[in-house]
Amino acid sequence: MIQSILDAISLGGLYSLAALGLGLVFGVMRLVNFAHGELITIAAYTLVLTTQFPLLLSLVLTICVTAFVALIMEFAIYRRLRGVNPAIMLVASFGLSTVLQRIYEFTFGALPKSAVVAPSLSGVVKFSGLSITISSLITIVLAVVILLAMGYLVERTSLGLQLRAASADFRTARLLGVRSNRLISSAFVLSGVLASFVAFILVIQNPVVNPYYGLNITILALVGIVIGGISSLRGAALGGFIVGVILSGLNTVLGNGRVYSYTWLFITVLIILLVRPGGLLSKGSELERV
Amino acid sequence: MRHGGVTKFSFQNLFGPIIIISALTFFVGRTSASLQLITQFTLCYFMMVLALQVFVGNSGVLSFGHGSFALIGSYISGMLTAPINIKGHALAMNQLWQALVPLHTNIYLALLISAIVSALFAALTGSLLMRLSGLSAGIATFALLGVTYNVFFNNKRIGPGSQALPAVPTISNTYILLLLAVLAIIIVYLFNISHTGRTLRATREDAMAAPALGINIYKVRLIAFTLSGFLAGLSGGMYVHVAGTFQVQDYYLEFTFLTLSMLIVGGSASLWGALLGTIVISAIGQLLLMMEQDLPIFGIHVHIPLGSRAVIIAVAFVAMLLWRSSGIVNGKEFAIPAFWRK
Repeated sequence: MIQSILDAISLGGLYSLAALGLGLVFGVMRLVNFAHGELITIAAYTLVLTTQFPLLLSLVLTICVTAFVALIMEFAIYRRLRGVNPAIMLVASFGLSTVLQRIYEFTFGALPKSAVVAPSLSGVVKFSGLSITISSLITIVLAVVILLAMGYLVERTSLGLQLRAASADFRTARLLGVRSNRLISSAFVLSGVLASFVAFILVIQNPVVNPYYGLNITILALVGIVIGGISSLRGAALGGFIVGVILSGLNTVLGNGRVYSYTWLFITVLIILLVRPGGLLSKGSELERV
Repeated sequence: MRHGGVTKFSFQNLFGPIIIISALTFFVGRTSASLQLITQFTLCYFMMVLALQVFVGNSGVLSFGHGSFALIGSYISGMLTAPINIKGHALAMNQLWQALVPLHTNIYLALLISAIVSALFAALTGSLLMRLSGLSAGIATFALLGVTYNVFFNNKRIGPGSQALPAVPTISNTYILLLLAVLAIIIVYLFNISHTGRTLRATREDAMAAPALGINIYKVRLIAFTLSGFLAGLSGGMYVHVAGTFQVQDYYLEFTFLTLSMLIVGGSASLWGALLGTIVISAIGQLLLMMEQDLPIFGIHVHIPLGSRAVIIAVAFVAMLLWRSSGIVNGKEFAIPAFWRK
């Protein structure tokens, strides 16, 4: 029972990190970056392929590689699509996501790569008769630390202030002296850093990396940011958390019927959207132009 | 995605696409058996892209849910026409609900039923979903696809689950598929120039001004969604009779993204864009496949390494969006180029 609750919280934490990565980029440029999943994938590949190095070095290397790929995305593709209809940008990001999947398939092969990352972190601790997996504890700790760090960054630093201002009204923020290129690039770098941590947690739980590794979590995080309220970072994190908790809870409750957990999850999502179209944290009924 | 769309009936707007699709089907379909099969699949995809054009192109609301209508159309048409002894005895079907086994009809009635049921399903789900707009609508339609896929993939009482339903009878005559596509072009064109079609495009251009003019956004979107569901169901039905087998996985993410990218590359605002996008994406895919297999293209051998096809297609798609984000035809309908008219 306690293990199930911990699992739910850790999955929620993981999804909220992924959702935050998406939400950061959406805030500054109204782009739903579906290719965020491929950032998670490249991070996971880097982690798995650098296991011969010490863990910390491997992690730093991963963050650098992922942030670099995120920057390339922004320079090569998204910078040229600024101001285009969000729906077109979303579809372009699908295209980019396919491009990267194919490139990974071409470079790393279609067969999965696997290696044990951080063996000390997988296993079980006994706790007065309860046995709890270490990975769920690590996930919760890591998620809390990163969410707090992000909270500090967004609420207390100048960059965070600019990010919030740009999310609220990009044009006015620019007029007031926010440098748009630098801000958008920073948002991409941050989303790359978040993707690295998501990949780190994922790889501890499942070290078998294939070209589609980050796809599933991105879809669910995307659902999360929409039900949480896409216009705020807090909403994104909350939505991701809710999706993770619901999914994990369904897997526990449904037992043998867990193959249908996605059905119930998506039905819940539909109900939330119908009741609150702007997301849980939206303020009243702001009419969004299609 | 904004701007564009016709308002007045014009012969060249309607018959241009019809002539082009007929000519291409005629010439490409006759070259070889494999190209004939490709042509048949392309006609099915085109039907799906038309379905998307009716709703996505005219309303500007992105839908990822049309795969579920195609899935249902395909499922119904497949189940109604597969031989009774297959449904009763094939290993993939051993948990099937027995009441479904004796249901059987001919291909054309099955196609009609599948399109109508899909339209009803679209009307039912649309009556809830059309209250939403923007990204929420996109995600909600995606959730619809997720639910449909998950149920059909896992429930072996109603269908083959994750396995394939074999021995679905095929339509070997390409011209029947062509006829359906031409009928669909006419329906979609008439819808696009109709009062409802024009009002729907007005809501796409300005979601605030349209209601001020007395337009009921919910109603016009629901009508388009239903028609779109009809065509998507028909496309699924056609697909199952070309592939000869029903498999749930055929109508999930890959199908959704492929058909959406055909629409967006061509230009979602017009029927001509839908057709051109389908042709361009299919042709690039086919040419690259031939290069990969080192087959001659008009007598010329161009060889590319195995596996690079998929990379090139995806890169080409992104490049086209960067080049022209509103699609190749940029919202225009088919028109004879000026230098031909003198």
